[in-house]
Amino acid sequence: MPQQQLNTREANLFRTVVRHYEDKQYKRALKAAEQILKKNPKHADTLSMKALVLNAQGKPEEAFSLAKDALTIDMKSPICWHVYGILYRTNKNFDEAIKAYKFALRLEPDSHQIQRDLAVLQIQMRDYQGYVQSRFVMLKARPHMRQNWTALAIAYHLEGNLPQAENILKTYENSVTSAPAKTDLENSEAVLYRNTIIAEMGQTERALEHLETDAKHSLDRLAFMELRAKYLTQLGRKEEAAKAYRALLERNSEHPAYYTALTSVLGIPADDESALKAIYDEYAEKFPRSDAARRLPLDFLTGENFRTAAKSYLNLMFDKGVPSTFANLKHLYSDPQKKATLPTLAEEYLAEHQGGQDGKGQANGDSSKGKGAALFFLAQHYNYYMSRDLAKATEFVERAIELDPQSVDFHMTKARIYKHQGDLAKASATMDYARSLDTKDRYINSKAAKYLLRNNENEKALATMGLFTRAETVGGPIADLTDMQCMWFLTEDGEAWERRGNYGMALKRYHTIFNIFDIWQEDQFDFHTFSLRKGQIRAYIDMVRWIDRLREHPFYFRAALDAVKLYLTMHDTPAGTNGVNGTSGKNANGEDAAERKKALKKAKKEAQKAEREAAEKAAKQDPNKAGAQKGKEVEDLKKKDDDPNGLKLAATTDPLGDSIKFLLPLLQFSPKNIEGQLVGFEVYFRRKKYLLALRCLSAARALDPENTRVQEQAKRLREAVGPTLSSANAKLKEVIESAL
Amino acid sequence: MDIRPLRPDDIPLIQHANLENLPENYFLKYYLYHALSWPQLSYVAVDVSRPKRTPYDYPKIVGYVLAKMEEEPTDGVQHGHITSLSVMRTHRRLGIAEKLMRQSQLAMVETFGAHYVSLHVRVSNKAAIHLYRDTLGFKTEKTEAQYYADQEDAFCMKLDLSPIREQIREAAAESGTKSTKDGATGEKGTPTEDKDEGEPVGDVGRDPKKDGAAGKEADTKVKVKVGRALGVGELVERDESKHS
Repeated sequence: MPQQQLNTREANLFRTVVRHYEDKQYKRALKAAEQILKKNPKHADTLSMKALVLNAQGKPEEAFSLAKDALTIDMKSPICWHVYGILYRTNKNFDEAIKAYKFALRLEPDSHQIQRDLAVLQIQMRDYQGYVQSRFVMLKARPHMRQNWTALAIAYHLEGNLPQAENILKTYENSVTSAPAKTDLENSEAVLYRNTIIAEMGQTERALEHLETDAKHSLDRLAFMELRAKYLTQLGRKEEAAKAYRALLERNSEHPAYYTALTSVLGIPADDESALKAIYDEYAEKFPRSDAARRLPLDFLTGENFRTAAKSYLNLMFDKGVPSTFANLKHLYSDPQKKATLPTLAEEYLAEHQGGQDGKGQANGDSSKGKGAALFFLAQHYNYYMSRDLAKATEFVERAIELDPQSVDFHMTKARIYKHQGDLAKASATMDYARSLDTKDRYINSKAAKYLLRNNENEKALATMGLFTRAETVGGPIADLTDMQCMWFLTEDGEAWERRGNYGMALKRYHTIFNIFDIWQEDQFDFHTFSLRKGQIRAYIDMVRWIDRLREHPFYFRAALDAVKLYLTMHDTPAGTNGVNGTSGKNANGEDAAERKKALKKAKKEAQKAEREAAEKAAKQDPNKAGAQKGKEVEDLKKKDDDPNGLKLAATTDPLGDSIKFLLPLLQFSPKNIEGQLVGFEVYFRRKKYLLALRCLSAARALDPENTRVQEQAKRLREAVGPTLSSANAKLKEVIESAL
Repeated sequence: MDIRPLRPDDIPLIQHANLENLPENYFLKYYLYHALSWPQLSYVAVDVSRPKRTPYDYPKIVGYVLAKMEEEPTDGVQHGHITSLSVMRTHRRLGIAEKLMRQSQLAMVETFGAHYVSLHVRVSNKAAIHLYRDTLGFKTEKTEAQYYADQEDAFCMKLDLSPIREQIREAAAESGTKSTKDGATGEKGTPTEDKDEGEPVGDVGRDPKKDGAAGKEADTKVKVKVGRALGVGELVERDESKHS
């Protein structure tokens, strides 16, 4: 049933509603809408607009119900469908939004706005075919805009139709009669974009030719030079390639890949150490401040050559007092000879500089240089897992500290040694002492907080972090750390709470991390249009491809694995029965069920208090406050957390079910990480999803057949399917048994 | 150490390094905004010697420079701006910050025709001031009172990039034909207008924040509106001279 028509006055009023909404004048928009509705209570478009305003004011439930009413009145109104789509979009339900937009578009096929919004949703959801279609329509409507051509090329490119992508870019280029200015960045980037597509198709020769003609004046000089060097190499044009890599090294002598590429195109055999070294020496001499040219040869030199080069490198680093010397060399320890040589060289340096405190490298009384640097190196050497001797490590660090009792770095290493000795309390106290030596440095502050967490001192850790978080953030340090997406703290904090038996807080943190990944996933949304305007298409494509594998990130993996394991623990030891030794050994620190109960009770109390206060605050709110202020409050309301201590999370009756949302991305994005497969088995096994359990098991076995946990899981699965599976599941049983 | 341009997938660990080192922090989207607007200008220093523990390890970022072009320069002159720069305490004294800055400065001229680069630094940050003034040649323009959230003053510093423009022109002249046109500087050294937007950007894409920035090695303050309601559309930079 179509809605009633508005008279002229009301039609004008309706336009006012739209304008006020667009200007974010929500109160006025609402007032105007009410005016229309007074006389035309069933005017669907006005109801929809009202819904939109309510949504913007942070009332999505009311908005949705109103928008549905509007649609019931007039199913054929494009406005109603459009609004419905917007509501879904702002509430992040992109699939439903797409459906609504498609209805709207069917009713109003020429609406540019609806088409554009739909296109963005399609690319956000990676509906490449749909995106190609949308961008095609948009190009046809506005072919004079280069952006529309580029966008269609992107759509084809992402869909995997590379020839067509290139074709679209070329068609536009050919249609332009006057040559673009060489300072035209959009053009420069579009041409380079086309070049990378040609290369992606494997047509290296043509890519090089295109690069050297059409992309010759590209404004991104580095990309031009790197692509050219790469193509020349691939085409076997070694002399030119060598020249190209030399030009790149002139630009940046700290990029190891250039050296490798250069020595390779020069045809220097991998075992010709002196010829290889000569190349690096050339650049070391040319760029006296280059680290790479001096350090990289240590990777391939052997025997006496290594010793000589390492000695001169170490001497230089110790003289300069470079604190990262050990960190930059420890990868060499996989070679036993190098592992043995480096500490002797440091000892030699020490012996040569023993002549008293005023000895050579002790310039300006800076104890981080010279002798102090060598002692520091040796302390780290003996603290490293491949060369560990904690007694010796302690001896060297104490000697270093004696030299400079105020050194943050020395105390930091001392704390690490305590950690490796298993004395977390001392480690944490020592790190905190290091912090006190330089209270303006956030790095050491962060380390101190981390060590506090390792020692299960969550409150103190948060207070320490609070020394650097923004004071004005409502909700204190934890709110700031959450807003700023401080993953490491949230993870370590959760793990510490878990060790203390406070599962609510632990789950809270893991869920926060999960949510931050959702935010990151959504962050790309605006860039689908933004990047077209900016013209930096290659960077945009990189982003899209990265977001597609976003949750493979170790930040996600660690927190999700923690969460799944905790849910398993909760399943295996329901609340109240959780003894001193939880099945997974999580309570090994000696905090028992009583403590956990106490923590839960306390958290509950706090939550109630917070709720009360929030309710009071809400009650006091003046609904008629000025616009800007109001907007802020709406935001605050939206941000309000109704479960700050994770009590609701911990009260779950279905921990295994809750674990699934963490588990699925683990299995999807990090299938080659055996830890994910192992916990996947545990979850599915307990849920009696034996085929899924088998899939995890098979994946784990492919990764590491010798793994004892894999073998143990296979045994459990075999035992489980024997008696439990009835004959009805004969087929399933057969599959599992044959796989095992 | 490996010094190279930033890639979008570096961002979580750049953000991590920033949170570890500096009091001025940003949510991921702000890094994305830099990476997708001026991908040529931001660089990272990566610890490549760490052995991978899983196939999903990301290169560890030990230093980064996050840079941008000023979108609407008040003086009408194209110029770059350093949003944030830091190097892990454990990786100091290798000249990483300087090397990152030099790469960024070169790209500012080549790609965007920048005439100078500006930044803010805490007046108490001796190490960073030393780097900017003595090593890189920045000059102090003025002091901005209570620029930082904790009320500390900032030096507003600038570096004239004409020596780089000159270098590029010379290199171009030397290599003959191919060259004269290389780079945004153009043959006459006129800085070509940076044309990074074909049409008005509307409310899209500027810096969010203010109030942020600057720490150990450098940085700038940008006040950021915190919270996820922020779209790129709302990443509008406010006048940097005003802060709360």
